[in-house]
Amino acid sequence: MIANPTTQVDWNGIAPIITIAVTALVVPFADLFARTHAKRWVAILIGGLGTLLAAGLCAQQYGSTGTVFGGAFALGGFTVVFEEIVLLALFGSLLLFATTMQERRVGGSVALMLWSACGALLMAGASNLMTVFLGIELLSLALYCLCGMNDRPASRESALKYLVLSSTASGFMLLGMALLFGASGSVALSSLTLGGLATSSFLWSGSALFFVGLAFKMSLAPFHAWSPDVYEGAPMPVTAFMSVATKAATLAVLARFLYAALPTGMSSAFLLPIWILAGLSMLVGNLGMLAQTDLKRLLAYSGVAQAGYLLVALAGTTALGLRYAIYYLVAYAIMNLGAFSVAAALSDEKEAGSALSAYHALASRRPYLAAMMSLFLLALAGLPPTAGFLGKILLLSTGVATGYWWLAVLLILGTAISLFAYAKIIRAMYARPDGKAQPELPVAPWPAMISIALYGIALVVMTFYPLTPSNIVPFVR
Amino acid sequence: MDLTVLPVALGDYIGLSLVIFFIGVAGIALRRNPLIVLMSIELMWNAANLLFITFARVYMNNAGHIFAFLVITVAAAEAAIGLAIVVVVFRNAKNVDVDDVRILRG
Repeated sequence: MIANPTTQVDWNGIAPIITIAVTALVVPFADLFARTHAKRWVAILIGGLGTLLAAGLCAQQYGSTGTVFGGAFALGGFTVVFEEIVLLALFGSLLLFATTMQERRVGGSVALMLWSACGALLMAGASNLMTVFLGIELLSLALYCLCGMNDRPASRESALKYLVLSSTASGFMLLGMALLFGASGSVALSSLTLGGLATSSFLWSGSALFFVGLAFKMSLAPFHAWSPDVYEGAPMPVTAFMSVATKAATLAVLARFLYAALPTGMSSAFLLPIWILAGLSMLVGNLGMLAQTDLKRLLAYSGVAQAGYLLVALAGTTALGLRYAIYYLVAYAIMNLGAFSVAAALSDEKEAGSALSAYHALASRRPYLAAMMSLFLLALAGLPPTAGFLGKILLLSTGVATGYWWLAVLLILGTAISLFAYAKIIRAMYARPDGKAQPELPVAPWPAMISIALYGIALVVMTFYPLTPSNIVPFVR
Repeated sequence: MDLTVLPVALGDYIGLSLVIFFIGVAGIALRRNPLIVLMSIELMWNAANLLFITFARVYMNNAGHIFAFLVITVAAAEAAIGLAIVVVVFRNAKNVDVDDVRILRG
């Protein structure tokens, strides 16, 4: 007797993804019927409610274990934590649509961002190569379109650049996946853990190409060249989403691969190139920040460096390191969303808040926004009293404890360099007005102001609760 | 792994796949027409497909076939989006050349 194929399908396991997908279908439909001046808020409201529902469904799966869809998607604490980070990025970025982007484009953009989040959620739980590929491409394809959503030529150009470079990186990753499939004869990540594969040349070359693809998506140096251009050209909510969700989802795939999929016999020399990339990213990212005049470009270089910091925690592939990496990732998500929220609050459709010159003497005109921006920049630099400080201490401690002291040294060095770039903005905000006529600042709606306050509070409160969920180590079956 | 099912040596399949792959890489690096660049990307992806099909035969595991179909589907979506973006970028330009796209300088 042939078993009913639907008995293999556990829709509950991917309920958050389905929720987001359905929301993505509802948003453009509702956009059709909304009145002209309500389109913006209808899209944000529906998208936000869908995201909250998905976050609730996701949280319920925290204790569950096992896989669904024939081993394609893993459940459990690890998946849930990364899914919640992606949903946080999604919710925060949706709020940024309140001030930026033309009204008639908001509905489509929100829908595309929800689709993109679907891809990121898929990556969070992906436990075979097909799901990894599908997640990465769903995330990226929606982002290509989103990057070109503004009328500025720079926006369209960034879409083309991102498309060409990212697809090329996907090509390398795909070849790597084919070689990994050749090494084990199965697309499941778990089949790589079998003994006897550690010396397979297919596994070595395949993993190397796979890492190249992931390093590109995470914008690790020297594969970071796309990120400043794309971040600058893309609309502000898209940049905010891209900077957090892409990094979180890629880190989930990378951590699962490093912790759970690689054979136990692999030598540490095999992983050394990844840690070298991490060290290089910290230097290149922080040095690159110094010369920037655009906030989005600056945060792009900052993101390159932060990706390097995150990898320091994974360097020893210890369970503790992974928990610290997740802590820092949450902190990074909040401080990045906070910085972008302030920029969006100073922006209209033309995104004036993106230029660093807009922050000159901001404190005398918008003291609240200037103070919050300072807090977020201090957090990005890793200074107390913020979670950025505690996060960096944790990263340092695990780097030293696992013997990667040179990464810890580079982390401190990178932080010192980055202080110049962040302090420059803070000093400019608290400079005296120079008498020149400044352009009129837009008045941001109250939800934006409240969300900025919440980010600030969360950053400070997180320092008292180094939340380290314990059953977090990824597994593949 | 059963290499006897292959009519020619496994190394030949891998060699062919790598040659196609690096023709694609060269196309992206050297050609200036965005349409040729998109075609080169397809070439890279399909080189990987060839490898998937080869290993699917060697291991008698049809997951490789399914993966290849998945890649073809995603590549179609990617081509559709890519062509749309090319049209939007070059709508007002006389000729299509990726060297003309340089407002943003990384």
